[in-house]
This record gives sequence, structure tokens and C-alpha cells, in this order.
Amino acid sequence: MFKKSALLMGIILVPFATSAAEVPITGTVESRCIIQTDSAGTYGNPNAYTLTTTPTDGGDPAIVRYDITLADAYYAEITPPTSFSSAPNLPDVVTFSGSVEVSTVSDATGMGTYETDKIEVGDTDRYDLTATGSTWFKISSTATMGGSKAFAGGTYTAVAEAVCIAK
Amino acid sequence: MSKKLLLLAVLVLLPGYSYSESITPYYGSTGNAITDQSLRWSMPDVLPEPPGLDIDTVIYNYTIRKQTDDQVDVYVGNENADGTGYIFREHDQWRPGSLDGTEINKVIGVGGIHRDLWGDGFIDVEGNGSVQDPNVIYTYRVDPCYDPQFDPNCPGYKIPVVDIPEVDLTQIYDVTQDENIDLDRSTDPKYQNEENLDENERKKKEEEEELKRKYRLEKALSATDAAALFAEGQRIQQMNEIANIAANVNGYYSKSIPGGAYQDSVQLADTQLPDNRRGLRNNLAQQRLHREMVNEQYK
Repeated sequence: MFKKSALLMGIILVPFATSAAEVPITGTVESRCIIQTDSAGTYGNPNAYTLTTTPTDGGDPAIVRYDITLADAYYAEITPPTSFSSAPNLPDVVTFSGSVEVSTVSDATGMGTYETDKIEVGDTDRYDLTATGSTWFKISSTATMGGSKAFAGGTYTAVAEAVCIAK
Repeated sequence: MSKKLLLLAVLVLLPGYSYSESITPYYGSTGNAITDQSLRWSMPDVLPEPPGLDIDTVIYNYTIRKQTDDQVDVYVGNENADGTGYIFREHDQWRPGSLDGTEINKVIGVGGIHRDLWGDGFIDVEGNGSVQDPNVIYTYRVDPCYDPQFDPNCPGYKIPVVDIPEVDLTQIYDVTQDENIDLDRSTDPKYQNEENLDENERKKKEEEEELKRKYRLEKALSATDAAALFAEGQRIQQMNEIANIAANVNGYYSKSIPGGAYQDSVQLADTQLPDNRRGLRNNLAQQRLHREMVNEQYK
């Protein structure tokens, strides 16, 4: 009687013993490419139809910093603004132009030629981040209203895009 | 009760707080070490006074001036104080292709090296280029108890004991051994001369001395007279001032108020005063009203 009961229990338990279990394995990867906005830019308004970050015209270029802890593993791709993210009504088409350049490095030997080695793809500048350390990029932008029409009064905001792309 | 306990706790902890403030290590940073175009600097001119100072990091930046095709090598560092080498020496290799006007911003961790070990700092430039706006800053940590005698609360503090060295004064100066001093007066020419004087000369000398004494006495008396004269002048001046004060007060005392008798001018012509009839009527009316009020309660 006892043996029969044990067998029955075994039969009943078999499906539970062979059921699947999901065991999670988690891991955290810290980015080895960190992008920080060192200083936001400002537009100066030297004339009615131009907004520019040129310091002599009352503007300030934006400064973005890339901190790299793994050499030769990332590209920095930076695109100056191509439109306003917020602005008053625009009476005409606005033309954007901009540039990116290396302003400061933390390693002259490894980063000194970043600027001459950069690749321009359309509006985007691509830098090969071959050395560890910090690199500061200066982003300049100019917006010109079409037909020499005046910008309406108000606040204009444009956004530059800086990304880190793994090789 | 609880307030008293709190106050007591604060009072007990207060000295401990000030104690920890005074000897707790603290951190700081220097200003720009480069003050001239020589690109060399002496650490005692850069670091603050405290002896227990260890440098943790060096932060420097500058802008490179060069032609794009040139190579420029910049060395930034500090020599060892004993001149045997470098505490650190960074080599910034601006290769061909690096652009003019690029700035470098670098942080060098040196891990707490005591100030005494730091020799002169330098920026050396090799190649066809230069550095612009160089800036070198040291961050440091100061341990106030580096010298335990800085504060009685420092570990290892010893109560100072005044050490008075024993000095054998005879080793410094012995008057009896001084050949310039003759302790035997008999050999003094001054006294020898007096003994050799004859009677006339002695009298003459005494007369001269007498005249001198009189002269000194006259001078002293004249000074006394001058002082007495001055005191007399002061006394007279004070008396004059007192007299003037009295004269001024007398002006108020001399005032007089005209007096005399003021007679009463009220006179009663009649010898008899009649009763006031109106008052009598009023009194009777009051009496009548009172009776009416009393009788009201019996109705």
C-alpha cells in the first residue's frame, strides 16, 4: 500500500520536476563614452535677419565634452542645428549654417590631430576618438532669414546633436 | 529639564567641535604658478605657509601656437627638490596636423607628495612654436598636526619645558682678569694728583669748588622762585575765575518781586439774607413725590 502511494506521488510529481524555470542573468555596462554639455550656446543678433553664435556679434558657441575611457572604440558625430526647435512665427525660410571644431584636448599626442582627421558627412562632422581622455568640441551656428526679412521678437532655440557611435 | 540637558550637551560638545576644526586636515588650491614669461617658478613662491602640505594634483592648460605642419614638443613638470630628476614631467607632442590655437587641459595626479620634495616648476617648449596663456595650479591637502606642537590636541603633543642652559659666568667675563680695569685705586693718577697737591693749590681748588657750589645753589633757587612765581600766577587766575562766577550769580540773586497787600474787594450791602422761596418749593415737591411713591405700595 505504501509503495503504491509512493509511486502515485512520483507520477504526480514528475510533471513539476521537469517544468522549465527562467533564471534571469543581468549585467550593467557603463558607457565608456560620456557626453557632457560644458556650456550652452547663445545667439547674438547683429542685424534684423541674422542670428549667430559668433562672439564678436554677441553670441557664444556651445561647448560639448566627450569623456572617453576606452580608446579607439567610438566615433563622435556632431551636427550643428538645422532648424529651430522653438521660435516665434517665421515670415520666411531660415537658412542654417554651422561648424564644429576641436577646441580643447586633454592629450596633445593622441588628440592633437582630431580636427585635421575628421570626416564631414553632410552637415555632420565625424571624429575618430582614438585616445582616452576628454575632448571639447566647439559648435557654431548661424541662422539667416530669407529675403532679408526680420526675425520676429521672441526666443529662438535650436539644438545641436552630439552622439557617440561604437565602432 | 530637557532644554537644560540639551544646553549641557551643547556646552560639552562645543570645545570638541572647535578642537576638531583646528586640527582637521583641509584642502585647497594655489593660484596660477606662472607669473612671468620665463615659464619657470619656485614652489615656495606658489605654495602657502603651512609645513604639513602635500600636493595631490597638478592641473595645467595652455594654448599651442604653431604652424600646422610643424611639430612642437611641450614639457610641463616639476624637478625633485634634490635635483636628481623630476616629480612629474608631462610631454605634449603636438605633431604635424595639429592645429594652431588648440588648447590643452590636463590633470596630473601625483598622490600626495610633501612640499619639501618639490623643486622648481617649468614649461619647456621645443620646436617652432610657443605656448599662450599658460596656467598651472596645484591642489593640496594640509595636515595641521604635521608638527604635533601646533596644537595641544594634536597626537604626540608634548608640553613644552623651558630649557635654561647653565652658563659659567666666569667663562664669559671675569672682571678681575680684565687688564683694562685697575682695581687698586692707589695707582689711579687722579687720586695720585690730589695727594701731591700743596696747601695753596688745595685751598685754591676748594675755593673753586665753593664757587661752583654757590652757582649750583643759585640756579636751584632761581628754579624754585620760577616755580613759586608760576604757582602764584595760577592761584591769582583761579581767584579771578571764582570772583567772576560770583559776579555772574549775583545778577540772579539781585532780582526782586514787587510785594504789598492785596485787599478783598467783595462787600455785602444787606444785613439780612431772605430764604430762597424757589428752593422751598422744590423741597416740598420732592417730599410730595416721595409720599406718593410710598403710598403706591398700599394700593
